[in-house]
Amino acid sequence: MAAGVAAWLPFARAAAIGWMPVATAPMPVPPQEKRRGKDGLIVLNVSGTKFQTWRDTLERYPDTLLGSTERDFFFHEDSNEYFFDRDPDIFRHILNFYRTGKLHYPRQECISAYDEELSFFGIIPEIIGDCCYEEYKDRRRENQERIQDDEEADPGNELVSADLSFRESMWRAFENPHTSTMALVFYYVTGFFIAVSVLANVAETVPCGSVPNRAKEMSCGERYALAFFCLDTACVMIFTVEYLLRLLAAPSRYRFVKSVMSIIDVVAIMPYYIGLVMTDNEDVSGAFVTLRVFRVFRIFKFSRHSAGLRILGYTLKSCASELGFLLFSLTMAIIIFATVMFYAEKGSSASKFTSIPAAFWYTIVTMTTLGYGDMVPKTIMGKIFGSICSLSGVLVIALPVPVIVSNFSRIYHQSQRAEKRRAQKASKEAGQALVCKTNPNFEVHHHHLLHCLEKTTNHEFLDEKTFETSLREVTLVKQVSRSSSISSASSPHGFTSCCSRRKRKTFNVPNSNMSVGLQGSIQELSTIQIRERPLTNSRSSRSSLNAKFEETVPLNCEQPYITAAVISMPTPPGTTPEGDDSASSTDYSQANIVRVSAL
Amino acid sequence: MGALMVIFSLQPKQRRKTTDSVEDELELSAVRHRPEGLEQLEAQTRFSRKELQILYRGFKNECPSGVVNEETFKDIYSQFFPQGDASTYAHFLFNAFDTDHNGSVSFEDFVMGLSILLRGTVQEKLNWAFNLYDINKDGYITKEEMLDIMKAIYDMMGKCTYPVLKEETPRQHVEVFFQKMDKNKDGVVTIDEFIDCCQNDENIMRSMHLFENVL
Repeated sequence: MAAGVAAWLPFARAAAIGWMPVATAPMPVPPQEKRRGKDGLIVLNVSGTKFQTWRDTLERYPDTLLGSTERDFFFHEDSNEYFFDRDPDIFRHILNFYRTGKLHYPRQECISAYDEELSFFGIIPEIIGDCCYEEYKDRRRENQERIQDDEEADPGNELVSADLSFRESMWRAFENPHTSTMALVFYYVTGFFIAVSVLANVAETVPCGSVPNRAKEMSCGERYALAFFCLDTACVMIFTVEYLLRLLAAPSRYRFVKSVMSIIDVVAIMPYYIGLVMTDNEDVSGAFVTLRVFRVFRIFKFSRHSAGLRILGYTLKSCASELGFLLFSLTMAIIIFATVMFYAEKGSSASKFTSIPAAFWYTIVTMTTLGYGDMVPKTIMGKIFGSICSLSGVLVIALPVPVIVSNFSRIYHQSQRAEKRRAQKASKEAGQALVCKTNPNFEVHHHHLLHCLEKTTNHEFLDEKTFETSLREVTLVKQVSRSSSISSASSPHGFTSCCSRRKRKTFNVPNSNMSVGLQGSIQELSTIQIRERPLTNSRSSRSSLNAKFEETVPLNCEQPYITAAVISMPTPPGTTPEGDDSASSTDYSQANIVRVSAL
Repeated sequence: MGALMVIFSLQPKQRRKTTDSVEDELELSAVRHRPEGLEQLEAQTRFSRKELQILYRGFKNECPSGVVNEETFKDIYSQFFPQGDASTYAHFLFNAFDTDHNGSVSFEDFVMGLSILLRGTVQEKLNWAFNLYDINKDGYITKEEMLDIMKAIYDMMGKCTYPVLKEETPRQHVEVFFQKMDKNKDGVVTIDEFIDCCQNDENIMRSMHLFENVL
């Protein structure tokens, strides 16, 4: 992407003429420019690999790049050939298309690289031959799914916390517990209470030893009714508060209420409130008992805490058709075998197969190979059909299971991939910062362009940290502006807006009013910059545009010691306008403000 | 119940087919544009053959389909101004380059614009700038139009500036601009006032020649 953008720099610079009439200050001087081929055989040089073909071959398809006059733009007079700076391996396939009329997709190539080449040469992918079309489409779909995953995963990291309202930050804390310690605490506390609540429900029913004046054993719930009630109340209160907070923080309340998790939450706490309302009413106490069953749904609240549960749920949802088929075929088989067994056992005396529905139980138990033994056939025919039933049961169940398993595996690996990618992101960015080649020519011109914008608007770029420090220390602004105005008046070429550290030129300090020892501060400047070089201040919005944006680390603001001088570059011709600059405040006893144009 | 199961199990496959065909339709309708021949462009612009070749290669790399639509244009331009929001100014630029107002900038539009900006006479450049500022292309720059442009330029600076950008800074700048340019104080700047005033301003004249050696 960087190479592509570099190609558009001339355009961006030309367009800067639009600012000129508006600007009130003179513009900085631009940096010095460094300056820099019937029926016959056509030679196509693709990154060094020479291909030759007849002109006619190419002109078979006049609405592609190679077949039309568009290729003239790539003619290289010196060597009298057409030069393309593209991948020769993929080009081979493209040229073959011209020769044979069939476009093939090589399986070992990356799908996006191939797509790019195709669109560069103006070939629509629809003409891929039948032999390769399916593979192409599959790979494409996979790639797009992966890109979508990436996009969904990314926005969560991009938000700047300052911009979020309280509500949004609360929602974010709920959804991603690892964003702040408060969220993490909340997460663990709710998890703990869910576990406690479930355990309490379970322990309630355990027999707890008998009390002297009762004949049979009491369950723990009856014995320590008050304790359990208090525990239940506490848990329900926490769940209610959590639900209400989530409802409050949700960006779309209607959507939140409709979501599965919120329904589980409601179902988990409703029984308690209903129980409060209708206490000791004999008629409905039966229903009340049933309602307590719903308390077990609290265990589903764990799915917010466990990614695995969510994957399982998602798998079941996505395999709905396979599960449906499984159920359908089982139902068919059950009905068939139940009928057969009923009629086979009709003759025998004292048979348990009293009706077809009664036989359903036998069929299910047999087909799933459980075989409880509470209903067994006694007649010979019954036994024969019973054995056929159990054999077919194995088959019917075994068939859809691999599909479900493969679905689960795919979804699980996808989520693994998302986790892995998150973990790798940090190291990837660090690696990229090292690898990213900075194109010095490009950067010089880019800086000049940004400097022109500064001049047009009479404001200067700062990076975030220094900007925030400057906001905090309002008193220094006047001082700094004084020094900056002095220096800008003295040197019409003013500040350069760059703190790249690749080349440190000799610098003069015109008339900065520093009271700090000059040598010391300059020394400080270099050491600080060197020390902070490895820090990759990776803001993704800038990282696409050369590493220079990652080098922008202001001189360390926490230091009480002021550094930096007002540095201007010597008069332009012959030197590139690079220098280190920052403005300083004079008195180092005040808290410092170091302003560095962060570009 | 069995029938329900059958229906349930049959549906998802069909759904997949329709999404595929929607995908295909989108692909086939992708715009592809081929520029005029090299000779014609050489005649119409002030670029040499080599320069046109260089320009086209860059253009084609970024936009293989041959045209730039506004979104892509905004993306590309924003890359040069990472600290601010360059999309509004890019919108105005796009309209200035898209001379036939068809919503996309082809290579010809691009190269014509560049030819004026880089190789044109001062008059032509000023004309181009006037055209940029005159948003509704009615021949007059009103204060509102200028304010829009100014805000767009200041937006490119972003938040983190020194001194801190205030709300009224663009407006003040527009006032200064109008004081300088609007000779007859009628509230609008015409093309003649604009060109006259710019030709008398040394700074502006000098800056017009700034980017001559870009290519």
